[in-house]
Amino acid sequence: MNEILESLQRCVERGKVNIKSPYPPDMKGQDGTDELARKALEAGIAPQDILSKALIVGMQKVGVRFRNKEIFVPDVLMAAKAMAAAMEHLKPFFKSDELKHKGTIVIGTVLGDLHDIGKKLVSMVIEGSGWEVVDLGTDVSPDKFLKAVDEHPGCVVGLSALLTTTMVNMEATVQHIKSKHPAVKVIIGGAPVTEEFAAKIGADYYSPDPQGAVEFLNTRCTPN
Amino acid sequence: MPEFPTPETFSFSPSFQELAIDRTIVERDLGYRKGPPPEIVRQLIDEILPEVPLRLAIQCGFRILPPDLFSLTESGIECGDVHISTGPIIASQLKKSTTAALFVSTAGPLLEQWSHQLMAEADMMKGYLVDAIGSEVADRASEWLEKRIAERVTPRGWTITNRYCPGYCDWPVTDQQKLFSFFPPDFCGISLTPSSLMIPIKSLSGIIGLGPNVKRGAFQCSICELKDCFRRVDESELAAEQR
Ligand code: B12
Repeated sequence: MNEILESLQRCVERGKVNIKSPYPPDMKGQDGTDELARKALEAGIAPQDILSKALIVGMQKVGVRFRNKEIFVPDVLMAAKAMAAAMEHLKPFFKSDELKHKGTIVIGTVLGDLHDIGKKLVSMVIEGSGWEVVDLGTDVSPDKFLKAVDEHPGCVVGLSALLTTTMVNMEATVQHIKSKHPAVKVIIGGAPVTEEFAAKIGADYYSPDPQGAVEFLNTRCTPN
Repeated sequence: MPEFPTPETFSFSPSFQELAIDRTIVERDLGYRKGPPPEIVRQLIDEILPEVPLRLAIQCGFRILPPDLFSLTESGIECGDVHISTGPIIASQLKKSTTAALFVSTAGPLLEQWSHQLMAEADMMKGYLVDAIGSEVADRASEWLEKRIAERVTPRGWTITNRYCPGYCDWPVTDQQKLFSFFPPDFCGISLTPSSLMIPIKSLSGIIGLGPNVKRGAFQCSICELKDCFRRVDESELAAEQR
């Protein structure tokens, strides 16, 4: 594989943002994702290849290691930051339609619940896998979810909750969305959520971690 | 004369120093038990910790239920006409209690606001670390309170059980509505939403059994069903820390 792409992938994995960043110490003074993404474009590498052969691959490795509990939230945050620095260079190509997201996921924490961080983390990993994320925030009503689905035809929906008492509001949300958009897929997560609960309320998938969501999106929610 | 002056509540505002939270504890909370976190995480924790006391409003408090109105059932406790269904697992830990203390603790709203502000400014890492420290503060404040409760009952030769919280081991989170009914409104600055979410978020509520023959029994983590929780503390770790 191309050397620049290989380095770029490693920088995402290790959370190396730019040459000035002292982190990680063993990569001090080396280019980060910021410089490498620019150099890749200058070298004529297709934006699609930069995205899918370097950035997404790097982030996927991070997602898997997080699921296996080899790394923890701070490591994921660093990788996401490195990913974002590279994405800045790719933004113009998304605008000109030369680059396309794999799809859109509308995500939020359900009504009555204010927990944000788990959902943010899932959003970052999903974004790093090439999907567009529309984050509606916390305490999101079924109506607000429905409105967002109306505005993003063909999207997938992600729901988060951290307490059993707010988890029950997932059911009303799923029903509300599916009554108008029966084909829209809904994926749910959060500490008290289980696979059985997902099945019971008619959600399409449950994942205990961000990577599971990515795998579901990539295999079950893309046209090809 | 009742054994305890009731319905009196006691509340405290311990300082951050009294909770003895240091970098090692925060690192463990983040999941780093087998190896150290990235250096940058350490640096950030060191940067955040001195600022934490400026943004704290720690409050905690308890009420000891009147023993003459208190009774134990198979699946919980009763106090007057209120039945609290802790579920059989926690009920068995409360075995032999003459009465119980209900408690709450909170880190207050300021740390949370700081964390949200950092994240809104796109500093996710620092925001997350502040959030994790807030959780530890709430936790340690209830541990600190547990000692005050013990001090109150030891003069009469009583001991206390471990602390147990609604939302663990079949004890419904919704039972917090009953628990809070024993406290004055806004006790320790904590309010409960209709979905039984405590505001501020960094708050805890629970129960501790009291009596001449109660056993300390299992620590909450060891009876919790979330077996691979990243914050799980096993009892040997706990013992080592208390030594
Ligand atoms: C730290 C913690 C606390 C802290 C603060 C919590 C906070 N959010 O700020 C403190 C100590 C204050 C606390 C208090 C309480 N807690 Co608590 N707490 C936890 C703990 C240990 C970790 C939560 C956390 O920070 N996780 C880190 C984030 C990053 O993870 P996350 O939000 O879960 O998100 C991840 C996944 O769930 C998933 N995910 C999340 N959303 C989505 C969405 C989609 C679409 C997908 C695919 C995936 C996904 O991906 C994320 C990344 O991996 C959990 C147990 C656990 N291991 O989860 C209990 C837990 C959440 N707490 C619980 C309880 C019961 C309480 C209390 C009610 C106890 C009490 N009576 O006092 C209170 C409630 C506080 C309140 N304000 O009302 C229960 C909730 C279950 C229930 N019965 O409702 C849990 C699950 C523990 C348990 N053993 O059952 N808690």
